[in-house]
Amino acid sequence: MQCANMLLRKIVRSSVLPFAAQHGMKKDLFLLSRTLSLSLCLKQDKACEPSEKLDLDEWKKVMKSGLQEEVSETVSEPKELSSLAAARETLEMWRLAGRAVPENISEEQLKTFMECPSKSAKKKYLKYLHLKELRKKSHKRKMDEKRERRLEAQDQASNTDETKKSSFVYLSSRTMDKVYHWRAAQSMIFGQPLVFDMSYEKEMSVREVTNTVKQIVLSESCNRRTVDPFHIHFCNFKDDSLYHKEFIKHYGEAWDKLLITVTDQCYTEIFPKDKLIYLTADSPKVMKKFDHDKIYIVGSMVDRSIKTGVSLAWAKRLGLETAALPLEKYLLWSTGAKNLTLDQMMHILLTLKDTADWKKALEFVPKRKYCGFVNKPVKELKKTLDLINTLKLRKGREGVEKQFAKNHPKKYTLK
Amino acid sequence: VQPPEKPLQAEEWNKLREDFHLPEIFEEVMLNNMIRCNSPIDVAKSLLTHVAKRNGDIAYNVLVKYLTLCVRQGQVSEIRDVYDIMKVRFKILESGAYNLLIRGLSNSDQWRMALTLLEEAKKIMIPSRTCYESCIKAASRHQEMKLAFELYHEMLAKDVVPTLDVLQSFFNFSRGMNGAELQKQLFGILLYLRENQIYPHKTFMQSIKLWFESIPGGNWRGNLTKIKDSGQCPVCKQQLEDSNLTEEEYSNLSERIIRDVIHGTDTFRKTSPKEFEAFQTFVENRLPFDIVIDGLNVSHIKSRKMQCENLSDAVNCLAKENARLLVLGRKHMLMNSSNWKREIMKEMQNKADFFFAENISEDDAFLLYATLQSGKHCRFVTRDFLRDHKACLSDSVTRHLFRKWQRGHQIVLKKKKKKKSFSSVLSQQPAFRYDCVVQTTGDTWHIPYKDVFEEKYSYQVPRKWLCIQQK
Repeated sequence: MQCANMLLRKIVRSSVLPFAAQHGMKKDLFLLSRTLSLSLCLKQDKACEPSEKLDLDEWKKVMKSGLQEEVSETVSEPKELSSLAAARETLEMWRLAGRAVPENISEEQLKTFMECPSKSAKKKYLKYLHLKELRKKSHKRKMDEKRERRLEAQDQASNTDETKKSSFVYLSSRTMDKVYHWRAAQSMIFGQPLVFDMSYEKEMSVREVTNTVKQIVLSESCNRRTVDPFHIHFCNFKDDSLYHKEFIKHYGEAWDKLLITVTDQCYTEIFPKDKLIYLTADSPKVMKKFDHDKIYIVGSMVDRSIKTGVSLAWAKRLGLETAALPLEKYLLWSTGAKNLTLDQMMHILLTLKDTADWKKALEFVPKRKYCGFVNKPVKELKKTLDLINTLKLRKGREGVEKQFAKNHPKKYTLK
Repeated sequence: VQPPEKPLQAEEWNKLREDFHLPEIFEEVMLNNMIRCNSPIDVAKSLLTHVAKRNGDIAYNVLVKYLTLCVRQGQVSEIRDVYDIMKVRFKILESGAYNLLIRGLSNSDQWRMALTLLEEAKKIMIPSRTCYESCIKAASRHQEMKLAFELYHEMLAKDVVPTLDVLQSFFNFSRGMNGAELQKQLFGILLYLRENQIYPHKTFMQSIKLWFESIPGGNWRGNLTKIKDSGQCPVCKQQLEDSNLTEEEYSNLSERIIRDVIHGTDTFRKTSPKEFEAFQTFVENRLPFDIVIDGLNVSHIKSRKMQCENLSDAVNCLAKENARLLVLGRKHMLMNSSNWKREIMKEMQNKADFFFAENISEDDAFLLYATLQSGKHCRFVTRDFLRDHKACLSDSVTRHLFRKWQRGHQIVLKKKKKKKSFSSVLSQQPAFRYDCVVQTTGDTWHIPYKDVFEEKYSYQVPRKWLCIQQK
């Protein structure tokens, strides 16, 4: 009864009646009043008809009625929110609206969010956090499942009470680590140097630097595990740089024990200039074979915004030789940029160093980027293709011949 | 899932929900489909009732979906009800809901409420351009031009770019209205088009024309026309603004090109300091040039000819009337190869000055520099649109200057097929002598317009004009 009264009052107040009358929305209104009167009758008679009429606006009542207490609470709260809290509220609403927004967000992340220069930057950042959160959650779930399974297995093992002893020599991971370290130490004395140029911090965003460091960590670990590792140099490395901070985050205490050379010197100060080769995708020169006497430099840069020629500019400035991987020569390239990640570079260089087999080495180029491997250089294939095309289009060919004859009358005559 | 045609009872919804493969998102999916099919609102209501009865609450995203349906069907009272419910239920709303509410209410006779909602939305965010658009249109539809213009200026102040639709609505709704202030405001919009080098499309142009002609006692007449190459309007015989930049603009532009395009963050990326210096002295010793040619670009005009032949054709075509030519190229052109014959190169070097950059340097940057240094009369030849260089400039004002300068100084060579023979001749598409932008002299207005609604390429300039003159 009360509800119905409230609704009635509401209708009068919000002047739906005159409006609806004006615009000929009588049907709706009639429906509304009819349900109202019906529900009134029902309440009075307390008689439920079996074929109950559907009350379409009942959800509104439910939504409003459940809120009476909450309203009084919100009123007492201070209206003015700090900008951080307001941002948090907005995020919560976005999450409710079903946008890609993380459930939990730290103060620091919230500040980064607010400092984003544009709406789209904000959206992107939130999506990134959201995906990160999802990944973390699913990882946790998987770990939990694994633990459960392990416990179960243990239970079963203890039930059967059987201690298996294998006849194999057991290699603990510590022993393996020792072997790896031994090799790495050897490489520090005898190994071929490989330089990571750490002078690109200014060109990158914070996220790009973190990505770079992640890739370098991967490359370092795969280098450590090979039979004949490189002697890795981090050149132009400044202490207290963002790189440094990120490395500490990844390695922790192990950072000081890494068997690599870290220096703030430039590679040109350490090595003779004529031995250095800067690897960059922008280089006009294509690498033909891996040279065991040269020192290759890889720019530690993740470049999401496609800044062309940054590392080439460094090589030019220092007057170094440059080279690019022969991707075009061996692969039928389909999509994606020619710049590869640092760990892919490392894999490729290590394979080249061991086997000098381009096909094997270029296996590490992501499969999505190319359609196939070619034995003949791609240029020749293209020539054949062109020839086929001209043969197909006879007319065009005649044109070419005539044109050629006209331009070079002495050398060529039409038969 | 096909949404039902009639409101369903709770049991029926329950059954549908259980049959659905993902019961948790059943309501969302169902409402999405209702929006797509534009189902009757009662069906959605019955679904909401079902949800409310089951859970005692309705999630925010479901409410927003329902709101979308209401807005789509113009159910004003429902929109208001949903707003009331949301207002009580949630402390603040997010931008999506505000967008919908404002759009829904601005089309009704409760449009003033849209304005209060806009105020509310401003507290938590910068309202989107569609929010402003709805409010401005609502205000001008009700002849509240002052209010509409206030909103318009507010949105400009917040760097929210107005849609052409909004601008057009100002002209549509001011038709036949009197008032010096109003006229000033509308002229302001035309100047906005001018400053941002925006070209109205055909229907927008019609709105502008009709507005001008409807000004009481204004005696404006509008005609559609094409401007001659000389820059004279055939209707009113007025000479259009020429495409030259002012001294200040010109020096600004050349400074910025050197700073942003050539040097950028690192001079070594496009050239090297040594090379650039060498080029600077080279240019200064031979100034001024009349035409600067991008040698490599021109050499690719006809694919069936040798590249050096193409270049020599171009040079011959342009070397009339003692014009001083500069051809920019790269060092590899000097190597005798199948495409670059030494004799032809020698011959050309008698007719024009040549500068050969390193093979890995960018010759376009040199092209811009040489042309700008030679002075205002100097033009350049390339088919390149120079978009990457324009993008290097950091602010939009300079980018507009660059575009204007480019239009006035770029010559594009095209091949023209002669009939019956396979040979083709080069033809020049000359640089514009007049500036293609909205312009006025007080008693005339000239407005270039696009024929189609969305012209794809930013470098294309409309050839059609609206000439408006006062008699």
